[in-house]
Amino acid sequence: MTILQAVLRVLAAIGLMLLNGVVMIYMLRKVLGHLHLRRGPVYMGWHGTLQTLMDVVKLLTKEDITPRAVDRWLFRLAPVVVFVPSLMAYAALPFSPSWHTVDLDTGLLFTFAILSFVPIGLLMAGWASNNKWSLLGGMRAAAMQIAYEVPLLLSVLPIVILAGTMRLGGIVDAQQRYWLGFIPRWYIFNPLGLASFALFAVTGLIELNQTPFDLAEAEGELVAGFSTEYSAMKFGFLYLSEFSNQFVIAALCVTLYFGGWTLPGLSAAANATLGPMILVFKAYLGIFMMMWIRGTLPRVRIDQLMQLGWKRLIPMALTLLVLTGILDKVVG
Amino acid sequence: MWGKGILNGMRITMRNMRRGPITVNYPDERLVLPERARWAVGPKYFEDGTPRCTACLTCVRTCPDHILGMDIETREDKTKHIERFTYDLGACMMCGLCVEACPFDAIEMTHEYELAVSDPSLLHRNLLEDVDAATAAKHRAAKQTAADKEGTDV
Repeated sequence: MTILQAVLRVLAAIGLMLLNGVVMIYMLRKVLGHLHLRRGPVYMGWHGTLQTLMDVVKLLTKEDITPRAVDRWLFRLAPVVVFVPSLMAYAALPFSPSWHTVDLDTGLLFTFAILSFVPIGLLMAGWASNNKWSLLGGMRAAAMQIAYEVPLLLSVLPIVILAGTMRLGGIVDAQQRYWLGFIPRWYIFNPLGLASFALFAVTGLIELNQTPFDLAEAEGELVAGFSTEYSAMKFGFLYLSEFSNQFVIAALCVTLYFGGWTLPGLSAAANATLGPMILVFKAYLGIFMMMWIRGTLPRVRIDQLMQLGWKRLIPMALTLLVLTGILDKVVG
Repeated sequence: MWGKGILNGMRITMRNMRRGPITVNYPDERLVLPERARWAVGPKYFEDGTPRCTACLTCVRTCPDHILGMDIETREDKTKHIERFTYDLGACMMCGLCVEACPFDAIEMTHEYELAVSDPSLLHRNLLEDVDAATAAKHRAAKQTAADKEGTDV
């Protein structure tokens, strides 16, 4: 790979990330609106489609306020520390047999490792803001996300055992044949995979700071958590990274459990061509599910969240892991 | 809470989503107010455009918030001239007691509901200013004309 190629790939990833941000914010407003019998944005463009673009322009031209009491260096650095890992997480995602930024043998591990940098940035943002709400939000984000890295990683390990690889492309390849000739071998249709998916879905929501687990932002109690003191594009970066992580987790979920870029009944060549579109479509279905959950459930309390994590999810994930290991040796 | 409750909640929100929005795009679309909706108090007029108010001060005395006021000048022939009929919109609770009390049907609860102003002084309104108050004779005449039109006795 030449340097030019590498730069182009990074630019493509940035483009996808920005596009995702714009589309998902619009989608979030519309979906939440309609779930609540409202309309969402209606004025800018057809059915408000240009609303997010206008918001981007607004964020770019807004005054960038740095409060006097903040820790300047950390305050400026934090959005970058949050944004860069979000961008890097796109690196290992496979969009088709040939479409990926890099084809890592440890793609799954890499993605999770990179995503676990995000809470450091959030904690920095919360600390540097010199504001009790921001600090609480940052601490909550760090505590939640660091604690839930454990069940998140444990919940996908059964898939690694079943597929025999951590390469995301390899995991998709392992799901390509059919059971009984018509059921695709997606891990969601495998009892062990289904259990693993249930755990992944819950821990993924927590990792993403998504409602009902958005304790770090908790606008009712913490104003906007770690992003309270941020304005203009610094806030834009924090916000964008949140949405981009949502896409990454959704795409990861599709790759691990829903056959990635494949659709049953399509030839290999057609799959290879349509792959990116299929993957993005599936990922957006996943994002819609997240928004649906977000529009329905109230926020959990922090003690409920901790109980769910330590007393339920981790033991369940460990049990599932052991069970998968044994069954894989006995049956497979 | 963790099991059936979540599914039931998701079912309800999805049903709402399929039902479509129930909001009214307010500045573009407006709901028709019910006939007896009570908003800002406003004066009523005879058909010839003169105010129906006789300056009897019943409304001023009735108002529980003491926000109606009237400066009157009584002439030698006992007719009254209304200098100012003041109304403090910001303190009005729109109870409608003044309208109930008015013996001459001279004020009403209007349907004016966009009451926000950019300057607090605009909340102090003059309902009537520098006009002659109606006389009881004028009310009798108006009543007679209305009755004649309908062909009934007074």
